[in-house]
Amino acid sequence: MSDAARNAVLDVRGLSAGWGPLRVIHDLDLTVFAGERIGMVGLNGHGKSTLFQAIAGLTGWQRGSILLNGFEVGRTRSQGPGRYTHQIVRRGLALIPQGDEIFHGLTVEEHLDSGAYTKVAWKERGPRKRKILQIFPPLAKLMKTPVGRLSGGERRMVSIGRGLMADADLFLVDEPSLGLAPKIGKSVVDALMAVELGSSAMVIAEQNLALLEGRVDRIIGMHAGKLKGEASASKSLMGGHR
Amino acid sequence: MNWSFVLSNAITLACIYGTLAIGISLTWSSLGLVNMAFGFIFALSGYGAWLASVNIAPQPAVVMAAGILTGALGGLFVCLLAFIPIHDKPNFPLRALIATLAISLIGNQALLWYFGPRAKSLPRLFGNWNADIFGVVVTSDKLGASASAIVLLTLILLWMRSSRRGLEIRAMMMNPHAASIVGIGVRRTGFYVMALTGSLAGLASVLLAQTYYVAPFSGITPMVKGLSIALVGGLGSVPGAVIGAVIIGLNEALTSTLLGGQYVLITQFLLIIIVLLVRPRGIAGLLDKAREA
Repeated sequence: MSDAARNAVLDVRGLSAGWGPLRVIHDLDLTVFAGERIGMVGLNGHGKSTLFQAIAGLTGWQRGSILLNGFEVGRTRSQGPGRYTHQIVRRGLALIPQGDEIFHGLTVEEHLDSGAYTKVAWKERGPRKRKILQIFPPLAKLMKTPVGRLSGGERRMVSIGRGLMADADLFLVDEPSLGLAPKIGKSVVDALMAVELGSSAMVIAEQNLALLEGRVDRIIGMHAGKLKGEASASKSLMGGHR
Repeated sequence: MNWSFVLSNAITLACIYGTLAIGISLTWSSLGLVNMAFGFIFALSGYGAWLASVNIAPQPAVVMAAGILTGALGGLFVCLLAFIPIHDKPNFPLRALIATLAISLIGNQALLWYFGPRAKSLPRLFGNWNADIFGVVVTSDKLGASASAIVLLTLILLWMRSSRRGLEIRAMMMNPHAASIVGIGVRRTGFYVMALTGSLAGLASVLLAQTYYVAPFSGITPMVKGLSIALVGGLGSVPGAVIGAVIIGLNEALTSTLLGGQYVLITQFLLIIIVLLVRPRGIAGLLDKAREA
């Protein structure tokens, strides 16, 4: 299928972004099509998280075009990080941030509800919660527990579950296995791979290439704020140099 | 001395001050704003209630609704001036502190200029009768004040636990960054929170005016008390504010009976200093079960 025939969920053109004097993303172009599951690999500090945050409008400054479902959500901006994030989220973005961006005092159930904050998702939050519990069965008996009391792996499940509750067309998952024991990290990534995307798309940033290989539609590499190389996941990247 | 009298005074004061403290505490924890204009909103809603009692009808429901409504409007006014324009600028907490203090000073002077220095009194809302509860004689205004404060606070807390908007405010209190990620708009939440806390100030104003008067500067002392209760309770914690209000109310009632009314502020701040020396983050540190990151 040619690229033009497919429906682009996200189209980034000439994006630069950073924090104060620091420029992290350099003139980056990226297109994500509907139904795609993309793995993004790259070392620490090479701009994976900053790219996600720029798409959500959370960086210190940014410029360049970001089309989300054909709607321009990027703008040249030098301050006010997060000022427009809720509008971008309403346009169909779900960002699952790195580490613990959770609400300590809310219970797991309230937490999942908060993920369905947008009006459309709120009405059908019941069935959505059941779906999340199918993806992460361990959460079922923790529904009434404050999130602050959970273990690291459980918190990550809650965080990802909150993201999946949203009525989104594009899911950006930042380092799902970071800081978790290998076995738990793998189970979290497995759960992400099992999510049925339908017409939405998912980008997973992950340092552990072995977790992604062969299970995503394509893998893109990120180096020094630019995209470097792209491979369909059937090819083995492990032997070659990046 | 009459212990039941002290106790009923303490409970009434605790209810009124607790209402104020919860308002201040909510604003601080969800918006990062110490609302120094709370005293102004308090006085403004007193005048709103007074105007309604003079121009519309001196009915309890009318007066109370007017006070609460004026308070909510005052909260929105402060939000428009001191939160919306500067909330994402650097050093926001300090700027907001100064901006709300300015609103408070200007607003109080404006009230003085418009209404004059003579204090107004509100009609008696709860009639003039006494109730006998377990052998303790309680006057109607104390009983009414406690009951209406408890009812409104319970309603608000239930609403915050169960509704989408309440979840939004609680999410903002715990982690504003994560709140924006799930699609919660800071400015819109600001409007809800300020209107809500403003209406709490309005209620407290109407209730306190049953014992005192409505005057241009009548909001300063209640605001100082509300702020110190919020500090003792631990900023941002509703149960903490309730416990703090009980302690401060008990202290005020005891001091004015045993030593005299002029010593209330002295013993109150001594108590606050002692509590904060033992628990620097306020009483709520005891209650906070959730593990911090």
